[in-house]
Amino acid sequence: MATEPSAFVYHAWLASAALPPGTVNGLLKKYGTPENVWNAVISGPSIIDGIHAAGLKTLKQNMTDEWLETVERLLFQHQIGAFTITDQDYPSMLLQMEEPPAILFYQGNLQCMRQKNLAMVGSRAASYDGQKAAGKIARNLSRKGIGIISGMAGGIDTASHTGCIEGGSRTIAVTGCGLDIVYPSANLRLRDRILENRGLLLSEYAPGEKPVGWHFPFRNRIITGLSQALIVIEAKIRSGTMTSVQHALNQGKDVFVYPGDPTSPYFEGNHRLLREGAVYFTTAEDILEDLGWLDNPGIIGQNSGCSGRTQTFTPEEEAVFSALKPGRLGFEQIADRSELSPAALMSTLTILQIKGMIEALPGKQYQLKDSDSQHYSDPEE
Amino acid sequence: MAKTLTFGVSGVNGYPVHVEVFGINGIPGLEIIGLPDASVRESRDRVNAAIINSGKQMPARRITINLAPADMKKEGPSFDLPIAVGVLIANREIITDPAIETEKIAMFGELSLDGRVQPIAGALPMVISAKENGIRDVILPDKNAREAACIEGMNILPVSHLSQVIAFLEGSGTIEKQKQISFDSLKNEIFASPDMAQIKGQGGAKRALEVAAAGGHNMIMIGVPGSGKTMLARCLPGILPPLSFEEALETTRIHSISGKLPPNSGLMVLRPFCAPHHNASVASLIGGGQDAKPGEVSLAHNGVLFLDEIPEFTRNALEALRQPLEDGIVNVARVKKQAQYQSSFMLVAAMNPCPCGFYGSSRKVCRCTPQEIRRYLDRISGPLLDRIDLQIEVDAVPVQEINSSAPAEPSTAVAKRVSMARMIQQERYRGTGKHCNAQLNNEEVKQYCMPDAEGIRLLNVAMETMNLSMRGYQRILKVARTIADLDHTDLIGSAHIAEAIQYRELDQKYWR
Repeated sequence: MATEPSAFVYHAWLASAALPPGTVNGLLKKYGTPENVWNAVISGPSIIDGIHAAGLKTLKQNMTDEWLETVERLLFQHQIGAFTITDQDYPSMLLQMEEPPAILFYQGNLQCMRQKNLAMVGSRAASYDGQKAAGKIARNLSRKGIGIISGMAGGIDTASHTGCIEGGSRTIAVTGCGLDIVYPSANLRLRDRILENRGLLLSEYAPGEKPVGWHFPFRNRIITGLSQALIVIEAKIRSGTMTSVQHALNQGKDVFVYPGDPTSPYFEGNHRLLREGAVYFTTAEDILEDLGWLDNPGIIGQNSGCSGRTQTFTPEEEAVFSALKPGRLGFEQIADRSELSPAALMSTLTILQIKGMIEALPGKQYQLKDSDSQHYSDPEE
Repeated sequence: MAKTLTFGVSGVNGYPVHVEVFGINGIPGLEIIGLPDASVRESRDRVNAAIINSGKQMPARRITINLAPADMKKEGPSFDLPIAVGVLIANREIITDPAIETEKIAMFGELSLDGRVQPIAGALPMVISAKENGIRDVILPDKNAREAACIEGMNILPVSHLSQVIAFLEGSGTIEKQKQISFDSLKNEIFASPDMAQIKGQGGAKRALEVAAAGGHNMIMIGVPGSGKTMLARCLPGILPPLSFEEALETTRIHSISGKLPPNSGLMVLRPFCAPHHNASVASLIGGGQDAKPGEVSLAHNGVLFLDEIPEFTRNALEALRQPLEDGIVNVARVKKQAQYQSSFMLVAAMNPCPCGFYGSSRKVCRCTPQEIRRYLDRISGPLLDRIDLQIEVDAVPVQEINSSAPAEPSTAVAKRVSMARMIQQERYRGTGKHCNAQLNNEEVKQYCMPDAEGIRLLNVAMETMNLSMRGYQRILKVARTIADLDHTDLIGSAHIAEAIQYRELDQKYWR
């Protein structure tokens, strides 16, 4: 694979017409490289059958020096590389799927595709629980050297990438637009973190390509295609996550589904999938076990909750702490169970928050901090 | 030629107006001069009909009426009664009882065509001005009598019909004097509604209300629709200390001149609660219009201004609140008129956590994207948030889930604690011009609100671990001062600080 960005302008040109991957595959198989396709298009129209008229028109329109310069600048500026299905390094996993992407653009570390990877997906507008679970599971998988692939959208995607980075492994993001664009723009910092931590960004769209609605469900096939199994954290009945599940099933991948709260509408899709026979899991270890990757169990199994703490509690703190043991509660419920006055409860909650024992959630709810996130928020303990 | 005395209103103050009536032979007619506005000019037709319907004759002469001082604009129908009486005296339709000094009796009231006397706006400032001008006797519409009855040393003569006034002046009839109503007796008549006891659960939010009331702190509530934010806010007037006589006068005056006082109401005893809708214009909030009328901030003077759905208010309207919040006074300047109104109120704001309202709810899915939520929250500017000491989330847990059957505390019990805390504050700030903790500036916070060593340590740790902003620091100290005052202790301890930190929870969760 060449490394000069200028070598990839023909890749970008060929990708710019939004031709079906199959058509581009055919062209590349026939001519070898995108540059050869370019030359073929210049030399005569007879060789380009299979390309629909609109696609051909766009390709011809883009055959100007000006267009090439613009793209070259983008490739250079964002350090974007590309490879095609005919390249030797093209990941063999992708070849096994339907409609493998013919051209992929990338930023970052291509080695990521060689590690064990799992896809993790879920809603963009995700519940707090879902994001927390995603972060935790990604982190724990990451600590075992397993990479997480997701779509760099908001919500579960963001939590998954972040968890993977925190756990020390490298994460892969497959985006639905040109790599010069960060979508949603709020994830600019996440993009940088992924690259800083030697992760990889992939896209089948040429630089400059805008995020268009249909790109996203389509790119989901690459997310599942590159991974050994799919982990669904949070899905509504009709959602992009469900298309990922469909891709995974078509590709013959295992689908792990996090159970979530059965009464919460955020997790409706999860329970539908579980009823339909998806694999149930609650922890990273469950997944590792099912995939047969559980080779060093010595490091696992420290998730013992907060019971081992040696801090001393006042009676008020004890009351709040034990009220929260069964799970998350609202302020009124804690007041009810701990039998503290609102004033006393307010100050006790603050003390427990400062001690890092509990955390406040939107909606005036509180829950115990689990040992896992504890580890990350108070490294000095 | 006859003269009667009445009063006009400018801003919140009354001023004496002499009604001079001069009749001359000529083409019959009635001319009013002295800068009357349309409603005063129309007075001539009402007066005409009212006189005839009171059994007197409208003289067939050319009558000129001058409202002196002639350089002040006269507004409103309150001049009807003195004009009618002036016309009758000038034309000897009434031969006044020599024992009555007509020019020393203030009178005002609107006349209806059948001669009945109707209530008017601004009766209270007029009566106060009468007292200041050494006038004792005031004839006014009976429906305004209670409003004026709190002013000491006045001879309030309420009437319902013009013929009563005529009989009184002729000496053939009397007007029953309105008994003075002591301010304290009014207080006993009115009960706050709604009462806190009607709200089940919500202990946390109620406690926050108590703290806000005790220190005069502005507060903002955030919570899903239906969590009871509005109901909670409405309880606030009932737990605030009762209005003092001076405060009641100030507030009633403003309501009186805006015509917002219901008929037969006395001095306002309960603190006002104003809840303008979120499409309110700047002028309706701050005051304005052609004649520079007081806005909601002034109507809420000494009370509560409740802004529900605060992000839906226009940016201009919200920014305009900053001056009255800071100074307690608004200057309303219009082309024709300028006025200064008092506007010292407690701001209580309520909002949903996101445009759809269900962010953080465990029962319903929030459909908003993070950007939408961000934009929604950003509609409230930093400078405005800076003026709000307490931020609380209102719990949306349904009542059925609360097992405790302990009866909720009534507002009166809470009000007692609040009053005690306010008294402690008034004692502490005597001579500084401040009344409550909310008014302290940064210097004074250093002087009055320093916690003990343990409290400082706790606050510093919390600042680091809980994402608190520096602007939150001062506010926590102020609120902790109030919480300590509710505890009757001078020393702010760590428990007080810890509770105060809970009232900045939106800083941690929403405005990060």
